[in-house]
Amino acid sequence: MIITGKHIPRRAVLRGLGVSLALPLLDSMIPALQPLAKAAAIPKVPRFAGIFSPHGWAPEYWQMPQQGAINEYPFVLKPIEAWREHITVISGLDATSSMPPAGMAGGDHSRSAAVFSGVPPKKTVSDDIYLGTTIDQMIAQKHGQDNALPSIQLGIEDQSSLATCPWGYSCAYVNSVSWSGPTKPLPHEANPQVVFERLFGDGGNAQERQARRQAKTSLLDAVTQEVNRLSNKLPGTDRARLDEYLDDIREIERRMHNVRKASDPTPDAEVPFGMPESFTEHIKLMWDLQTLAFQADITRVSTLMYAHDVSMRSYPESGVTTANHAASHHGAVPKKYEDWAKINRYHIQCLTYFLDKLKATPDGDGNLLDHTLILWASNMGDSNLHSHKDVGHMFIGGANGQHKGGRHIRAEGSTASLLLTALRMCGVEKESLGDSTKPLSLS
Amino acid sequence: MTPKDFVDTNEDVRRAVIFLFAAAMAHGQTATSLLSQRAVLDQYCVTCHNQKVKTAGLMLDKLDLAQVGEHGEQWEKVVRKLRAGMMPPAGLPRPNAAAYEALTVALENELDRAAQANPHLPAPGVHRVNRTEYSNAIRSLLALDIDAAAFLPADDSSYGFDNVVSGLGVSPALVEGYVEAAAKISRLALGHETAPARKIYHVREDYSQEEHIEGLPFGTRGGLLIHHYFPADGEYAISWDPVRTTVGGLYGGDSEDEQAEVLIDGARVKVFRIGKDVPISSLRDKNEVRVPVKAGERTLGVTFLATTYVPNVDLNRHYHRSILDDNLIDGFTFTPQVSSVTVSGPYDGTRPQDTPSREKILICKPSGRSDELPCARKILTTLARQAYRRPITDSDTESLMNLYQVGRNAGDFEDGIERGLEFVLAHPEFVFRTEDGPTNVKPGEAYRISDLELASRLAFFFWSSGPDDELIRLAAQGKLRDSGVLEQQTRRMLADQRTHELVKNFAGQWLQLRVMQSSTPEGTDYPDFDDNLRQAFRTEAEMFFESIVREDRSIIDLLNGDYTFVNERLAAHYGIPNIYGSQFRRVKLDGPLDVRRGLLGKGGIELVTSVSDRTSPVQRGKWVMTNILGVVPPDPPPNVPALKEASAGGNGPLTLRQQMETHRANPACAGCHKMMDPIGFAMENFDGIGKWRTKEAGQIVNASGQLTDGTKISGVVDLRNALLGYSPQFARTVTEKLLTYALGRGVEYQDMPVVRAIVRNAARNDYRFSALIEGIVKSDQFQMNRKKEAPLTAAREVK
Repeated sequence: MIITGKHIPRRAVLRGLGVSLALPLLDSMIPALQPLAKAAAIPKVPRFAGIFSPHGWAPEYWQMPQQGAINEYPFVLKPIEAWREHITVISGLDATSSMPPAGMAGGDHSRSAAVFSGVPPKKTVSDDIYLGTTIDQMIAQKHGQDNALPSIQLGIEDQSSLATCPWGYSCAYVNSVSWSGPTKPLPHEANPQVVFERLFGDGGNAQERQARRQAKTSLLDAVTQEVNRLSNKLPGTDRARLDEYLDDIREIERRMHNVRKASDPTPDAEVPFGMPESFTEHIKLMWDLQTLAFQADITRVSTLMYAHDVSMRSYPESGVTTANHAASHHGAVPKKYEDWAKINRYHIQCLTYFLDKLKATPDGDGNLLDHTLILWASNMGDSNLHSHKDVGHMFIGGANGQHKGGRHIRAEGSTASLLLTALRMCGVEKESLGDSTKPLSLS
Repeated sequence: MTPKDFVDTNEDVRRAVIFLFAAAMAHGQTATSLLSQRAVLDQYCVTCHNQKVKTAGLMLDKLDLAQVGEHGEQWEKVVRKLRAGMMPPAGLPRPNAAAYEALTVALENELDRAAQANPHLPAPGVHRVNRTEYSNAIRSLLALDIDAAAFLPADDSSYGFDNVVSGLGVSPALVEGYVEAAAKISRLALGHETAPARKIYHVREDYSQEEHIEGLPFGTRGGLLIHHYFPADGEYAISWDPVRTTVGGLYGGDSEDEQAEVLIDGARVKVFRIGKDVPISSLRDKNEVRVPVKAGERTLGVTFLATTYVPNVDLNRHYHRSILDDNLIDGFTFTPQVSSVTVSGPYDGTRPQDTPSREKILICKPSGRSDELPCARKILTTLARQAYRRPITDSDTESLMNLYQVGRNAGDFEDGIERGLEFVLAHPEFVFRTEDGPTNVKPGEAYRISDLELASRLAFFFWSSGPDDELIRLAAQGKLRDSGVLEQQTRRMLADQRTHELVKNFAGQWLQLRVMQSSTPEGTDYPDFDDNLRQAFRTEAEMFFESIVREDRSIIDLLNGDYTFVNERLAAHYGIPNIYGSQFRRVKLDGPLDVRRGLLGKGGIELVTSVSDRTSPVQRGKWVMTNILGVVPPDPPPNVPALKEASAGGNGPLTLRQQMETHRANPACAGCHKMMDPIGFAMENFDGIGKWRTKEAGQIVNASGQLTDGTKISGVVDLRNALLGYSPQFARTVTEKLLTYALGRGVEYQDMPVVRAIVRNAARNDYRFSALIEGIVKSDQFQMNRKKEAPLTAAREVK
């Protein structure tokens, strides 16, 4: 991607190119981007991109008998074979935090949030939800506070069509795999327009954005006063929720302050609109936005959900019309099993776009892929049986030189150990997480 | 439990219910003390539920009948099972109907008595409005329809509804959403948004376009109808893409003389000729028309001119479109279809003068500079009063005018209004519902919520929105609870058009109509399924529920109402002859259509209780148990193996029932499955998309079974009649759900006495919907809170 000092004002673009102006965001529309901290060369810790894809992979279509260097990837992973020197595939780990608690049963689709937390969620449908802090948030809390956005959470599916989440677990555990605290799930945004505006602000051009930011500041001041006033009228027990509201406002103010500190990194690009029905189009938009966010240093941490557990979404572009969850219960019927594997493969195919973009984006003395750690995780090893054993994971990217790919490792123990490894690479030294006291060694 | 000779007709059932009710009252009044029920419990229940065997963890020998209140939760579970006729299990001896009823009533009376001393009145706490309520409030405040999903993240559900406090947390993303939305919406409403934008509307892949679409002109076929908000006056580019194969072939490309037209508010703006303007083979479409449009919400249609009314009898019915559906068959493909419509603009946009929103907001216009302040004050305080759901104070006005001034100084009068409106929309009292509680109430004490708070509860219950001016006025004057006023307001609100929100949101979630949106039946198993049918299911269910509300019918009509609403698509699915056209109309369900009566016969219910390639008798059994009998079956155990292969036997394919033999054969499964499966099997004549069938896997459908109370049934009509015997329990179950929705919190066992009282009263009125609603509105739960016992935190300093 070539960054020039010129950029095209939005109106001219629209007039000239009409409606065939489709995203991805045009590279040529992005003004020369200034890093947030002018002195920054390579940042201290790599970017972190967590990717959650529920239901795992079809075992027979991805398991590799050998460990070490693999030259030929199995069916599901074939699309990223060309990237294998950047990838470590890890098999054999058990997602213990996604398993039902001792003595209980079921709920295998209800504990998605366990994936990046390493701890099982508390079984409740009420407001006493309890999990832990997920690793992306641990990284954001330690190393992301100087960014305009400490982290972003993206998704593909809007979850409001689900009215009930069964098995006695709150929907909060299914809707978000990024929790900033034991009781604080962060919503994943599936609408590219909303994500764009969260990253870059809204407004037809940079001046408008600036003016709107100023208006926003005075608005937030006024609102804070009102919240305080309201809070004083309420019984003490109710204040907690309004206190949260105030904390959130302060958070927004802090970020706005950070944005002002940087030279304006906002592109004059066109805002994406609507929710693409094509999964390929949708996820490409999300990859674009993530890359831009990293590139402009708006954030260093992102989490993306490919789908929700029990997703009813189908992916015709994979060649299979069966919906996600239905396909994951193939009953070991050969044709259906293969269909499930095809969907898995399609999802991996969609990932190559992201890897392409990261590799093509210069960053310091290398590129974004060198300076990012991508963790691909899931909650199931054999979706057909709801088994959480032997779940497939991947580390992708250079992680600032800490991760060398090109291997398949067959490990043992809990997935929490892999989370500890990821934390270490991203500058968070944690002694233990969930049921693991030692990070998994990838060498 | 149901006297079998009473289930012949609807009328008889009602009489039976009243008889049982009277008998129950009689029993209660002869003061049969609960202690005398000990013998019944010992004889029929304690054999399993004792301290040695501990069946289901319930030890009835240990529980003291003189202190029912101390184990309320357990006794309520007992009552629930008794009222659903589920205990003792079928096959074990039961007391006769009178004794069964006597025991149940005695327990209920004790539980009710114990609750009187200490009613369950938890204060809801700070209750954030959900996304639906937010957009409704915006609509009534600003006459502007927004897509709230574009601004705010989705809400979590709790206890089955998304307006329950425990699911409505806050997060930085949400607060940011409110703040951004406030700015954007105020710009949109005032017509200040003139920057170009683009919106794409996608057609669902399984949306058929062979017939006339409701809302588009007669004489057209297929296409898409959109409600789009044009933010400013200016030129807009409207373009559309047809459905093509992956290699660019146009679906229906060999259809000659096809034409597509673009309509704005029903007026044609352009015609595209297929084959001439729209190429038959292409990988990029540029079907665009530029047209000046005035700001406001308008309907936008892209559709095809109908070329024939001959029914499409192609054998190859590709209702489910896939971009991989490459094998177009000459002469057998379907007609051109719209895939997406894009609206871009405005180009050279200018601020509009008249839009409904501007009219609503700008109730005065200053004639000169000196007029501005009083006019701004009037505009902003009017908006704020409705938004905050209470009369405005001086300090409110001060804050509003401060922000007005900031905007005025940076621009003009309307910029000032924009800033003020922004503040209103981001105000915590718009976004949160709070209930203060009087200061002189001690912790643990119950108190009546204020009239304004009651007005809010009423409005959010009926309309999923804030109270209107009449309610606020009455509440501010302290008249809402005056004799007759509350009833009158309840009636007014029920009759109001806005109560459609109750139907949409309550029934939409209770009957899982929202889940229907993502139900995708397998194309190969159900080739005739399309989005048009999915939407028809949803509309039918909504209209059915709405008829109960609007006509103030008995809630029991949900079980066996002898009518429904269909359009041509749905009628064809149900086999109802002589129904033509895309609009919905009422039809009577008699003769062979008797099977479709009530919720059990609604295709939508069949759809959401199936999986993508077959029915799920277990889900159907669970649905009936949960939503009609009020008993949620326990969760299945882990490691349930897959169903036997459909053709495992050497004698040809097995029916689903045969594949599920293990449920009965294996004692570990039978305990729960003998409750659910017979219900589901009785409905097996409805396939996975609700179509009636007499055969499955080549065999006649076997819909026979035995319910938990021993009743033998065969088919859905028997099932329905058996369930009618549990009408009071159904009424209680619906009331529980309504109460959850009304209170915005989960209904707990401690609330059951209130549920029973509401239903008892409603029974006198035939269980009419309005009777249930009035019962809820008048209940203590709806009108009172109890101050929490927890210690106060220090007050925040107001800077």
